[in-house]
Amino acid sequence: MISLALASMRARPFPIILVILALTSSMALLLAVDRIKVATQNGFNQSLSGVDLVLGPRSSGIELMLYTVFHLGKPTNNITTETFNDIAQDPRIKWAVPIALGDSHRGYRVISTTDEYFERIKFAGDQSLQFREGSAFKELNDVVIGSAVADALGYTIGTSMFVTHGSGSLGELHDDFAFQVSGVLAPTGTPTDQAIFVSLEGYELVHLGWTNGSQAISLKSIDIQKIPKERLYPQTITAAYLGLTSKLGLFQVARSINEYSEEAVSAIIPGVALTELWSIVGSVDSVFKLLNWLIIGISIIAMMTMTMTALESRTREMTILRALGATPLHLSSMILAEIVLISSFSVLVAIGLVRVLTWISVDLLSEWAGIRIELIWITTNELAILGLIVFAGLIASLIPAAMVYKRSLHRGFSN
Amino acid sequence: MILETQQLTYQYKSGKTLYFPDIQLHPDEKTLVVGPSGSGKSTFLNLLSGVLPIQKGSITLNAHSYATQTRQQLDKLRADHIGIIFQSLNLIPYLSGFENAALSLQFSKERRTHVSDIDTSIKHLAEGLGLKSEILAKQPKAMSIGQQQRIAVIRAMLGKPALILADEPTSALDPIATEQFMKELTRSIDPAKQAVIVVSHNPALFPLFDRVVQIGESA
Repeated sequence: MISLALASMRARPFPIILVILALTSSMALLLAVDRIKVATQNGFNQSLSGVDLVLGPRSSGIELMLYTVFHLGKPTNNITTETFNDIAQDPRIKWAVPIALGDSHRGYRVISTTDEYFERIKFAGDQSLQFREGSAFKELNDVVIGSAVADALGYTIGTSMFVTHGSGSLGELHDDFAFQVSGVLAPTGTPTDQAIFVSLEGYELVHLGWTNGSQAISLKSIDIQKIPKERLYPQTITAAYLGLTSKLGLFQVARSINEYSEEAVSAIIPGVALTELWSIVGSVDSVFKLLNWLIIGISIIAMMTMTMTALESRTREMTILRALGATPLHLSSMILAEIVLISSFSVLVAIGLVRVLTWISVDLLSEWAGIRIELIWITTNELAILGLIVFAGLIASLIPAAMVYKRSLHRGFSN
Repeated sequence: MILETQQLTYQYKSGKTLYFPDIQLHPDEKTLVVGPSGSGKSTFLNLLSGVLPIQKGSITLNAHSYATQTRQQLDKLRADHIGIIFQSLNLIPYLSGFENAALSLQFSKERRTHVSDIDTSIKHLAEGLGLKSEILAKQPKAMSIGQQQRIAVIRAMLGKPALILADEPTSALDPIATEQFMKELTRSIDPAKQAVIVVSHNPALFPLFDRVVQIGESA
């Protein structure tokens, strides 16, 4: 019956191809959306690793995560260096890396930090940041840039740049002190690729002579070499990444920071905050999925409609087969076999299509959106989803199959 | 005996009732069933082929009484023991002549056992019907009506079913082709095992048959 079903389908190529196209594209879309979602979620969860706590001014955990990890939004407040040092001296804290935010360069956030940042901050599990070129800060004017910044702006080691005061494009340029690219980070697929790093001292230097957001004294009129080192140590920082000596004390340390009485500070656990943040961002994915399933439902209905429409024109074929001894069950099975063949073929084409599309777009997505999609054929979860679609198609095809059964049972040969 | 019908009647939902004459058919016998339009010739064929359920009377084919058979068994009985030829559109359009002819073995193990080599058997039957072997490779749309009818005969004959039922098989043919076709059809049967029933209203066919059965109607 399968060879007969195949031959019958070959005789009706146009509607069959249209149905296969509809099913294939809807299934490929479902797989693609799912893979992008998984890759985005993985990238999201792996944006920051190796950090046990993020210390910042008292605010919501999500807000703190947005500006410390994703470089989005503006810090509401700063914390004093005194508080940071006090907390960092807690014996349960193994290391602490401060960051100060506020400036930008051509739309990219400038993060001022210490060179320990490149050693402590990890991504995608336990991968350390690597330098594609150059190294971390050695001089006051050294700047390290993320791979996406380097690629987009065409910067390389030695390129000079000024930073802009504030995060917007309307900020005043710190054009009295030029930074020079000393290192370019290797791609990570995280917001780090889009960041520019300067030393805390360098950051403090360009803000010398600034009051209330505007420049009062230019650095050009000052001999930078004569500025005392302690004068370049910041009075405030935006946040700090903390590493603990033991993970077991995580909640205790977080609680004691949250109860710190000298200043309103808070400590968040990155994993918890990321999950909380994903639950908000990830809800968009549910809408996409719902739309996808609707498209698949429509494709299955199209397949069923095509089969039912073709039944009228296949009356003679069915009559001949009945005359040859085919039972109504044989004929119904032929219809079911057609549906299974169409949907199974569509599944295979969809898998192949997604594989090809992934192969084509894997670098593009990584560079453009920082999304790293795995180059795989199919996961068991995806296979289960596609199996469910084939099963749904089979269930839907029971209607035309039952129609064939009923007709062939009662219809004589002369009709 | 190949076929025996006794006091066969059929009542439609409208209340109209058809009464069919008793038939006894032995090997090598050729029976022509005649009757005006609406007399129930097609209903008679549907009853003989086991597609319509028997309401009254009996049919026995190769010692199998239809009354004791389930629907599935009747389908199997038809696949094993009956070869059917329609008046036109006998072939499945997307299959070649050869594939159409071989289709009769798809649903019958018994008929398959009578065919040692499908290719040779089909070519042999085609030769007997004056059909060139290259026609077998063609699809129905590339064949004449006469060639299509001959492929239908090969399909009905393959595997030597006991009863050949033909419903107006020559209605689309001209008189010369009709006579030639009927001669080829009756010549193709195995006189030891097979018998033929042809339904037609063409009086020119009468001399070619052993017996002519008239079907009429009465309320």
